Amino acid sequence: MILDLERFRAQARPRWRDLESLLAALESRPDRQLNLAEAEQLQELYAQTAADLNRVTHGALAHELRQYLERLVARAYAELYYALPMRSEVWRPRRWLKIFTAFPETFRRHSRYFALAVSITLLGCAFGGLAVRYDPASVDVLLPADYLRNPGQRVHEEEQGLGRHLDSAQTEAAFSAQLIRHNIQVALLAAALGVTFGIGTALLLFENGVLLGAVAVHYTQRGFGLFMTAWLLPHGVFEIPSILIAGQAGFYLARLLLRRREDRDVRQSMREWLVLVAGLAMMLVWAGIMEAFFSQHHAPVLPYGFKVAVAAAELLLLTIYLLMIGRRGIGTEVRSSVPPENR
Amino acid sequence: MTDIQSTRASTAAELTIATPEGVLFRLPLAGPASRLYAMLLDTAIVLGTVNGVGLLVYWIFSKAPGFGFMVITLAEFAIGFAYSALLEGLWNGQTIGKRLFHLRVIDQDGLPLRIEQAWVRNLMRVFDALPFAYLVGGLSVLSSPLMQRFGDRVAGTLVVRQTPVAAPVEEFWMRQKYNSFMDYPVIAMKLRRAATPELATLIQDALRRRNQLAAYARREIYRELATYLQSEISLFPDELVEKLSDEQYLINASGILFGDQRLSRVQG
Repeated sequence: MILDLERFRAQARPRWRDLESLLAALESRPDRQLNLAEAEQLQELYAQTAADLNRVTHGALAHELRQYLERLVARAYAELYYALPMRSEVWRPRRWLKIFTAFPETFRRHSRYFALAVSITLLGCAFGGLAVRYDPASVDVLLPADYLRNPGQRVHEEEQGLGRHLDSAQTEAAFSAQLIRHNIQVALLAAALGVTFGIGTALLLFENGVLLGAVAVHYTQRGFGLFMTAWLLPHGVFEIPSILIAGQAGFYLARLLLRRREDRDVRQSMREWLVLVAGLAMMLVWAGIMEAFFSQHHAPVLPYGFKVAVAAAELLLLTIYLLMIGRRGIGTEVRSSVPPENR
Repeated sequence: MTDIQSTRASTAAELTIATPEGVLFRLPLAGPASRLYAMLLDTAIVLGTVNGVGLLVYWIFSKAPGFGFMVITLAEFAIGFAYSALLEGLWNGQTIGKRLFHLRVIDQDGLPLRIEQAWVRNLMRVFDALPFAYLVGGLSVLSSPLMQRFGDRVAGTLVVRQTPVAAPVEEFWMRQKYNSFMDYPVIAMKLRRAATPELATLIQDALRRRNQLAAYARREIYRELATYLQSEISLFPDELVEKLSDEQYLINASGILFGDQRLSRVQG
């Protein structure tokens, strides 16, 4: 009935001590490389300690001993079946630079989710635009901020440079930081809302589209179409695609969660989600800088034609980057060529 | 060893891992309260760091406060996200707060956390923090059998409690040279046969916690246990029991229950 606990402990204690000191040595070592002797020793001590745990588990005895052994076995299990990435692997600058090619590659690999994000946004645009076109009163509901509702006044203020400080570069710097932060937060939320099986992402994209469509139609109706294009596009050509990519990441995540049972290669998939998020964050940094330092200067200083031309050039570069950079291969080849780092 | 066929099951408070070798071990899950405390501490650390950096930046950019503000805003944002992700990734699932509260983030198969998982679970905070004060994340923890917030569900991670467990020490009451119960091997054997594992553990625990109990409580508990043993299970002769304190009675009984091999030899 009762295991001879004291004798058992006395006999087994040396190997628990050995395992403990081996684990401590391994865990404190940055590279975590096992040599053959150590690996054999670890395997053997793990097996013995696991057997000891089994013996203790079958009585109701010795709660603390059981806890101690469970902890030991868990640590050894982790050490045997998984190697943490070495510090030298993590701090390899070339690895980090790979994001610049990995981002367009991932973008292309999951372009159908991007297409979905674009269609939902376009649907929102159409809804917002048509609403304003046929029911001008809806402007009050659709456009939250006052300045968006009164384009004439706003354009006047902007062109006169009202509300600007003398050292405007300073203000612009502060403004750009706030923009970058806010935009990344919104985009990240769109990407994270994939957890709601994409519903949240879709709603956010749709709302964004409605706002875009309504503003566009409202300003164009009043004859400020060129002003608006020059005002919004220099940063918009980066900002809008990045929100769309956030939507893409969100839908991708939703798809991932829905099929998690069948697809076990979750690790690679999560990495792709992260790459998309990192890429869109970089795009938003650029958009924030453009919005604060460039978009806010108007006609007398910067001719509208020039601003639109800059926007067009940016869009062209972005398109080339997203479509041409990196490997041309499609999904499966790239996926299988990634070496498994798990040993 | 990439194809580990480990399975997992869980009850409310723990995760059970079955290794490919057929060994079961349990990991205690961390509750929402300790995680909240750890997070508050981490938040305080981040705020402290950000403000420290902020002072430095203001000093450097005193001629250009706008640029200073830009640097601070972006640094604050980046540190806020990177702090947990980097520390958890490099420190095997622990931030400073988690370390102090003995928490660790691990993969839900019982293996260490990977760097991608650390980033995913921390970026997902923007969702878990909705609509305020981590309401979504908190509800998710309470409704999940593995106590996962949404970030954990997506990344396939969970938070375990790792209070330090001391290595087993030699117990003082096992060491007695002479156990007067040995003089009555028949009764001693009867005690050994009749005691259930629960009762044996109870006695052992009562003795082990001797110094954590208040004097009157100890007297009371030891008296009850000794009386129960003496009246229900093993009737040692009165002339022996009268000479023993309740504590000594339990120490002797424990010596009989746990491990003295001479007993069976006498019987054999």
